[in-house]
Amino acid sequence: MSASTMKTKGEKVFDVFNVILMCLLIILFLYPVLNVLAISLSSSSPVQRGEVTFYPIGITGKAYHNIFNNQHIWRSYANTIYVAAVGCVLGMIFSTAAAYPLAFGNFYGKKLYAFMILFTMWFGGGMIPSYLVMRNLKLLDTHWALIFSSLAPAYYIIILRSFFQSIPISLIESARLDGANDVICMIRIVLPVSRPVLATVALWFIVGHWNSFLPPLMYLNDTDKYTLQVVLHDIVLQASGKLYEVEAAVHAGEGSMVIPQQVQNAVIFVSLIPMLMIYPFLQRYFVKGILIGSVKA
Amino acid sequence: MSNASMQYRTAGPETNRQKIGRKIWANRWIYLMILPVVVYYILFHYWPMLWLRIAFYDFRILKGFEGSKFVGWKHFQSFMSNPDFLTIMWNTLYLNILSLIFSFPAPIIFAIFLNELAGGKFKKGVQTISYLPHFLSIVVVVSMIRNILSPSMGIVNSILKQLGGKEIYFIGEPGYFRPIMIISGIWQEMGWSSIIFLSAIAGINTELYESAVIDGANRWKQVLHITLPGISQTIIVMLILRIGSLLSIGFEKVYLMQNPHNLGVSEVLSTYVYKRGMVNNNYSLATAVGLFNGAISLVLVAVANKLSKKYSEISLI
Repeated sequence: MSASTMKTKGEKVFDVFNVILMCLLIILFLYPVLNVLAISLSSSSPVQRGEVTFYPIGITGKAYHNIFNNQHIWRSYANTIYVAAVGCVLGMIFSTAAAYPLAFGNFYGKKLYAFMILFTMWFGGGMIPSYLVMRNLKLLDTHWALIFSSLAPAYYIIILRSFFQSIPISLIESARLDGANDVICMIRIVLPVSRPVLATVALWFIVGHWNSFLPPLMYLNDTDKYTLQVVLHDIVLQASGKLYEVEAAVHAGEGSMVIPQQVQNAVIFVSLIPMLMIYPFLQRYFVKGILIGSVKA
Repeated sequence: MSNASMQYRTAGPETNRQKIGRKIWANRWIYLMILPVVVYYILFHYWPMLWLRIAFYDFRILKGFEGSKFVGWKHFQSFMSNPDFLTIMWNTLYLNILSLIFSFPAPIIFAIFLNELAGGKFKKGVQTISYLPHFLSIVVVVSMIRNILSPSMGIVNSILKQLGGKEIYFIGEPGYFRPIMIISGIWQEMGWSSIIFLSAIAGINTELYESAVIDGANRWKQVLHITLPGISQTIIVMLILRIGSLLSIGFEKVYLMQNPHNLGVSEVLSTYVYKRGMVNNNYSLATAVGLFNGAISLVLVAVANKLSKKYSEISLI
């Protein structure tokens, strides 16, 4: 940043303009989310007339009431939590186990091992071969297909490796002098020191599984096993609401009906809640993660 | 690094064989660690590559691979002689070109403006909010697009009508498909992608700015002559990497934004593969198209990586 203490008039104007621009951007970034919430909480007539923008008009909780009683949506939520949790735990185990040897190991086959991982960033089987593999492993229509389709991505391994390499080598060496083997080094030294990057990658796993759409679309058939994004897709974008018993709430005493779009938006918002809660507090971890991975010291 | 507790069995100098054996034994835990990883990669990354060979056969899923006839390049030929082939290729390429022109500079410009803000809570707040769209799933983003562009209920058409115009069926009009893809892509990724550039800007030597001020340069000149050159290496590397994925368009967003009206502009390689393979069960053809796409992308990425190595120490390997 400039060290000037005197600003010209033009620069002051620019500063004001910049702040206004940023405020506009804030509105643009936030509007769609606020809009979803507003539509889901409003009465149906203002929504249909296109009056609802940032804030709800004629607040009613009917749309949410509809969802609250819906088994299918709850089940897909539970499925997604399950996949995200198991996927994260297993993913972290595999990814850290993959990265440690790359960072600290000196063993026969290391180059081949590294190439095996990195090559997958350039080329892969693709959609159909992956599907056929899952089919052959009898993993179709199971949650394991989702978990295994993204267990130890090369990108995450690289990030972990970069961070591990930045750990002062003296820590490791003094442990080795004390007779520690690799497993102990990993568990007692490397992992505790790596908390920031571990948190980052763990959160990447969770967000990745939470938002994942194509793998469940390809691998899952049984609607009871569906995860959140596929259900969302069906309800909102395919208007297959009936499948999931998402029906417009019937006209009730207070005279405010709720149209299907509102229930759809309510489902959307409900799916957003975990992400909205996670990201503000932990986005600094994400930011660190990218920076570690992109700039090699 | 040897295990201090190892005992040697021979009295004489160590043979090569013993050296190798000792090193393997010393690394036994490492081998244990990489074993599950290797199994995973073979099963889920390399075995699928083996399956790519069905692109050269008439694969019948019920008969399994043994029951399939070898047909050589037939599927590739039939794909390339498909009247839609050029359209699909162009759709894929053009979306990426548009993205290169509009979506690539956006985070850079955003980073520069953001950097000019006085530091503090406001700047941090803007940054944090700019990351929000990145964390939304693609289904949610497309749903939001539907909300906003809805002819009856969306804000864009509301504003249009208030300005005296007529409502526009954005989703239905093929002409709007590409602008919607690009603009929503910028909305979703501009903040997140700016992180790299912001950190590059932060890495510029402040002395450069100070001497520029002494020379009488205003802020604009500083941006032009210090900031931009300072991050030029980062920009070039990111640009080259972007070119490496010139022929790959992610499946999910295009699939969700497709409808019968806009297929002429919205059908890309990945959606074509999905429809032929997963919907029509024409596995061999879909795999052939996928392989075609993957092979070209591989060449592009390899070239891009070589170029990026030339321009900096940063590379993907």
